[in-house]
Parts: sequence; C-alpha cells; structure tokens
Amino acid sequence: MTNESTNGSPMGAPPLLSIEGMIKDFPGNRALDNVSLEVASGEVVAVVGHNGSGKSTLVKILAGVYTSDGGTVELSSQDGFDTELHIIHQDLGLANELTGIENLGITHYHGASSFAPFDRKKERAKARELIGRFGEPFDVDIPISKLAPAQRSIIGIARALDGWQHPRNVLILDEPTEALHATEVRVLFDAVKKLAADGAGVIFISHRLDEVLDLADRVVVLRDGRKVADEPRSDLDHDRLVSYVTGIPVGEAEHGENARNAGEVVLDIKGLTGEILDGVDLQVRSGEVVGVAGVLGSGREALPAMIYGSIDADVESFTLDGRPYLKRSPRESIRRGTAFVPGDRAKFGSVRPMTARENVTLPELKSMTGAGGAINLKREREHAQTLMQEYDVKPPRAEQVFAQFSGGNQQKIVFAKWLRNKPSLLLLEEPTQGVDIGAKQAIYDAIDRAASTGAAVLVCSSEAKELVRLCDRVLVLRDGRIAAELAGDELTETQLVIEGYGLKSEDEL
Amino acid sequence: MKKTEAIQTVDPAVADRGPAKKNGVLAALSFRNISAIYIFVVLFAIFAIITPRTFLTPGTWLVLLDAQSITVLAAIAVLIPLVNGVFNLAIGAEVGFAVILVAVLQTKLNMPWGLAIAVAILIGAFIGLVSGLIITKGKIDSFIATLGMSSILLAGLAFLSENRQIIGLQDGFRLFATGGLPLVPDNPNFKLTNPVFIMLIVAFIVWYLLERTPVGRRMYAAGYNPDGARLSGVNVGRLQIASLVAGGIIAALAGVLLASRINAGDPTVGPGLLLPALTAVFLGSTQFKGGRFNVWGTVISVYVLAVGIKGLQLLGAQNWVSDLFNGVALLAAVGLSRWERTAKRGSAIKRATPKFGRGK
Repeated sequence: MTNESTNGSPMGAPPLLSIEGMIKDFPGNRALDNVSLEVASGEVVAVVGHNGSGKSTLVKILAGVYTSDGGTVELSSQDGFDTELHIIHQDLGLANELTGIENLGITHYHGASSFAPFDRKKERAKARELIGRFGEPFDVDIPISKLAPAQRSIIGIARALDGWQHPRNVLILDEPTEALHATEVRVLFDAVKKLAADGAGVIFISHRLDEVLDLADRVVVLRDGRKVADEPRSDLDHDRLVSYVTGIPVGEAEHGENARNAGEVVLDIKGLTGEILDGVDLQVRSGEVVGVAGVLGSGREALPAMIYGSIDADVESFTLDGRPYLKRSPRESIRRGTAFVPGDRAKFGSVRPMTARENVTLPELKSMTGAGGAINLKREREHAQTLMQEYDVKPPRAEQVFAQFSGGNQQKIVFAKWLRNKPSLLLLEEPTQGVDIGAKQAIYDAIDRAASTGAAVLVCSSEAKELVRLCDRVLVLRDGRIAAELAGDELTETQLVIEGYGLKSEDEL
Repeated sequence: MKKTEAIQTVDPAVADRGPAKKNGVLAALSFRNISAIYIFVVLFAIFAIITPRTFLTPGTWLVLLDAQSITVLAAIAVLIPLVNGVFNLAIGAEVGFAVILVAVLQTKLNMPWGLAIAVAILIGAFIGLVSGLIITKGKIDSFIATLGMSSILLAGLAFLSENRQIIGLQDGFRLFATGGLPLVPDNPNFKLTNPVFIMLIVAFIVWYLLERTPVGRRMYAAGYNPDGARLSGVNVGRLQIASLVAGGIIAALAGVLLASRINAGDPTVGPGLLLPALTAVFLGSTQFKGGRFNVWGTVISVYVLAVGIKGLQLLGAQNWVSDLFNGVALLAAVGLSRWERTAKRGSAIKRATPKFGRGK
C-alpha cells in the first residue's frame, strides 16, 4: 500500500459506507429516526449513546438481523473494488470449545477440499501470522475458552479480517471492549488503528466515552433514536461528549458526597475461603455502602455469590443480622432479607422470555397470592406497573417480555425486582455493566436510597469511578486476600488502581 | 455504486409475543394465536363434505372424545416436565408399564382392582422420582436419562407380560373407563365416559397450578433459565423432580384407564403414545400463549391431530397414516415458529448487505 491511497479519503471521493435517513419503528417507539452516517476510507467513526439510543438497532439493521422501515444503505464500489461490510458482534460469535486454528477457519477459508486431510503445520503458521498482526502471538492449539478475553477478541477480529481482497472495507465493532481490561483494550485499539491506516473504514460502537475519545477520528452521538451530534474528535472533550449523550448541559453533572450514618452490623464474615479467596474478613453495617475492588482473578467476582450462597465457600464464622448463617442457599438468603444483583444479567439476573411483571415478582410471590394460594394477577400487574414507574423503566410496560427492554432498562427492572421487598443486605456485582449513563444515574440513586433506608450494601465492581462515587469505604482484593481498605480522602480512583495492581504508591516511585 | 431499499417488516421478536393491548380481541383471534382452532375448522369442513355419513355422526365424535382423552393425559404428563425444561421420552413406556402392572396385580396377585389402581399409580410416581433423581442428582441430560428409563421400563413390561395379552380382569375394573354419564336416556352407549371427565379434571388442576400459582410460575422460570431461576430463590432441582413425579402419576393414570377400556393388559398399546403426546405439546405451545407450553393448547392440539387422522382413516387411509401425520405435525409445529424468525432474518440480510458473504 502506498501512502497516497491510504491516508484518509481524497477530497470528493465517495465514502465507503453511507447510511441515509434510516428509520426503524418498534411498536410504541421509534428506535431510529432519520439517522444518516458516512464512513470514509481510513476513518474511525465512533457511534455512542445510551442503551436504547438506537445504536444496537443500527448495527442490527446493517447485519441484517432487523429490517429497517425506511432509508438506504450504500456501499462504495470504486476502482474495481466492492466494499464489503464486516461486523464483529459483541459476543464475537466464536465457538469456545474449538481451538484458535479451528475458530479462524483456516482450512476451509483457503479453498481446501472438505475431505482433504489437514496440514497442521501450515495451518498453525497461517494462524500465527494472522494473529501476529495484533501483537504477541499466543497458543492457537488450545480451546479458546482457555484464552484471555483479549486474545479471544483478537481471534474474532483476525477472523473478520482474513480473506479481504483489498483493505478498503468497512469494519463494524459492536461494543468490543465489554469483556476486556484496560491493557487488553490497548491491544485491540492498536489493531483497529492499524486497519484504518491501511485504508479501512471503521465504525466503533460503544458507550465508554473515554475509549471513544481515545480511538475515534469522528464521533456520532445518538439519543432517543436521533443523531444529535456528528463532530470531529478534535472538537470534543469529555464533558461536552457527556452532555451530548445525556442531553444535560455541561457543568450540571453530579458528584457524589457520601455522608452516611452506619448503623448495626448486618453482615459479619470471618475467614471466607473458596476458589481464589483465601481467608477474607468482611463487615457491612446497616446504611453503609462497602465496595470491593480488585483486578480480574483477585477473587472479586466470586465474593458476592459466595455470600449469597449460590457458590459454595468455607467460612470460620458468618452472621447475618446477628444470627449465624452457615448453610447458605439463594432461597434461604432471600428469606433472610438478602438481595443479589448478579453481574451477568442474561444468564443469572433474569428470565429473558418472561415478562417484566413475572421477573420482578419471581423471588417473592407470597405477597401476590390470594385465596387458594393462587397469584392475584390483577394485584401483581398493578404492583409491577407501580415499580416500573418508580424505577423509571422505559417503556413502562409490565407485560413486555424482559428481553425486549434495552440493557439499561433491563437492569432497572432487575433492581426493582430485588429492592421491592426492602432487603436488609444488598449484594451488587457490576451494577452498571452494559448500562448507559442515564440508567447508571438512576441505578446509583436507587442504591443511595436503599442505603439511606437502612440496607447494608456491598458493591463489587471493576469500575474505580463507580466505587468512588458510591462507597463509604472500599476493600481491595489481591490474590484472594484483602490488600487494603480505602476510605475518606484515600478513596480515589488512582489509589484503587495502585492497590488493585499492587503497584508501589506514587511517592515511593 | 450499489443501492438497496430497506423494506418494511414486523419485528419478529415483538410479533412473537401474545396479544397487544390495543387490538386485543383481534390478536387473540389471529391465526398466529389460535391456528389449531382454524385448522380444526378447516379439517372439519373438508371431512364433513367428503364423508358426511360417517364423519358427522355424534357416535364418531363421542368415540374420538373418549379415545383421545387418554392421549391428552399422556400429553399433560409430557407437558409438566417440559415446562421445567425436562424432556420425558419415557412417557409411552410409563403408560405401557402401568397398563401391564394394573393387569398383573389383579390377575397374578389377586389384588382388588381399586388397590391395583392405587399401587400402579404409586409405582408411576416412583418411576418419575427415579427419573428425576437421575437427572438432577446424577446430572444426566433428561433426553438421555428418560430414553434409558424408557428402555428399562419396556424390558420390565415385557418381563411382566411375557409379551402376551393379560386377560381376565375384574368386572368392576372394566367399568372404570367404560362407565360414564349417558346423554340420551334410552341409549346407554351414547355417553360421556369417565376418562373424559378425568382428563378435564386433570387438565384443570394442572392449568391452575401452572398458570395461577407460585409453583407454576417458578416452574416456567426454571424451564426458561435454570441458573437465573436458582438465584431468584427457585429450587430448580426439586421442581424438576416434582414435575416428573406428577408426570409419572398422570402417565400411570392414563395406563390404568387404557387397560380398563380394552379390558386387558396389552403390552403394545402404551409405547405408541409418545409421538402423539410430544406432538400435541409442541403444537400446543404455539397456541394461546405465544410460545409457552400450556395446558389448553395441548388439549386442543390432541383433538386437532386426532380429527385429522380420523378423517383420513374414514377416507380409507391405512393405519400407518397416524404415524405419518403425527411425525409431520411434530416437525411442522416445532419448525414453523423457528422458520418464521430465520426466514425474515435471512431475507433481511440479503436486502441490507448485498455484498455480505460473497466469495469472489
């Protein structure tokens, strides 16, 4: 590739992909309203917005999952090159049980007969070459479930890029960093930038504003299905972008001051041991929000589930509301007034094919029953309806299937489900994962409210900012043990990162 | 330069669910929602025109109602575990085993028929319990577990019956399934039989439990998402066992009624019920509740399938037509709902991205 054909599109050249006046209606709401978007060769365009802003809908239309209700999609076809669309979906669409080589589909991709024997050596070399473009090569002979999330992403991207006849295609990445750490995100971004430099057009869908500002050349903001901004990166800063996304003018953003009065000890654990965790002591008081930080593999992920009783663990002592509670199970925990919002909403937090109404009442149906032990459907519907208004779920339809709500609204429903019976202990795992800024605020408010009415709250999160915003104090886990406890002035994002990674503190450096 | 027009369709995910609020009546009467009833009407009309003399007689209908009530029971015995996400492929063998057991208990052990029925049903519950434990504690997939269970029961059935019809059942026992409520005073054969009433009672109880009680709600949740249900305090394993026990009881009841009706322990009649039962449950799930397994959809489906088969038989079709009809209907029922989604998706891909997957 020569320089003149790679650096950006020449003036007047048609964009690789142009979307014109895209419209998509769902019953009762317009998900996309006249959205237009262009991507030129060499350009990284970020599309940002809340959950429910329409960005997922846009990707799904481009992928052919949905059919639009109006608008056009044009792909350029110049100099004898037909531009192709390549999409990397959020879940990557890989087969976890297969090896890297098999996932890359090298054998079939390169025209070998279906019955020809494999040439292991050749395949391995080719696979290494493909992933080698994105940094250090790694083992391509083991099932990819054993790889790090970032390495899996690289397989997904390498696969999407393999077999391009020319570099001037359009690559769409749908929330590609959801499962990745900061360092892994770096690797991915370097790969994406390299692609763009070679002449590809990239559309990068995300709701992580820092990443967007880091990567994009141009930022398109969607809000409520409309395009509200389409500006070069250089014209934007963080505050301005936030105000576009939220619709709230710059300067009015919130800041949390956590002045809470802690009451009685609700949860008291000594010597919690299991999986990675090795003798963790923990106390949470009524009205207090305690955070748990730690990098992946620190034991942070299993902690709330172990307290809740859905993962087995050993303890020296465990008391809840002053009473010993050794044989734990989700059912018994609920009975004792514990609520658990798990991180994986789809797998653990909800029953997706059931309605919002059926989801919110599932943990506790007794209060919904009337004569003969039957569920009083009218009472249940009214109850669910009230909750949905209280938690500002959009659309506030109790009879809508859970899966049809956007991510942020799903999480609001999950919170409504667990907070409706005023739990005395609230366990939260990644409470705002995959949630837009608007819903995030609503969820923070709900957590604050729960604490102020006397709940003991434990928040396990990978987001330092979130912990600083929410918590009175934060325990930092490292290698299964509590490495530090931060509170007051010490509780800062920087300090959390330093303790989490076990780095030396700044003045020692 | 390529240009593609986007074309309007109904979003499949949204269209999938039951009636919307605004035009609730229209949606409730839509073909999607109650297709089985429309198919029923069409089949009825066709056969009524072609073979009015046999098809339109009340006798034919009463016999059909009576005969299929046992299939309905078998289907409900499949339905309850399936709501919990558990396949029960042993249903035919369970019914067959009860047929033989209730006969053997009377003839070889000289048990009074009332006691024989009670024992057969108790054993049915026990079989369900064993299946449930194998699936939940033994962590064996329900498909495999109940297939294995089915084979074991068929072996037991052959052992007990020595592959022969067991005759000489007690007189009172025969009346259990053949007795009923006469509709016309002067013709005792013209009646609604006990199995029809039993079927309706069982269907009503199961409907009530599944649709109106917390237990039923938890069962659906357990079937849709066992992990999520467990974290919401649902004891998934226990519900799955309970569903198989309930299914075992109902299957045994169906077996007892079958033995009583044919007045013999026939080793061949039970196993054939698996396919019609499974078909009806899946066809039933496309009715009324937009994709949810449900009781009344299942009941209706059994009769729709039976009317189709009956009509074909009246036209002179051979016996194998019922296997053919059930097989096609099972594939159609399961396939239709999925096909609708994927077809829309496929055509949408072609329209929106003309270059997608082109390998030049």
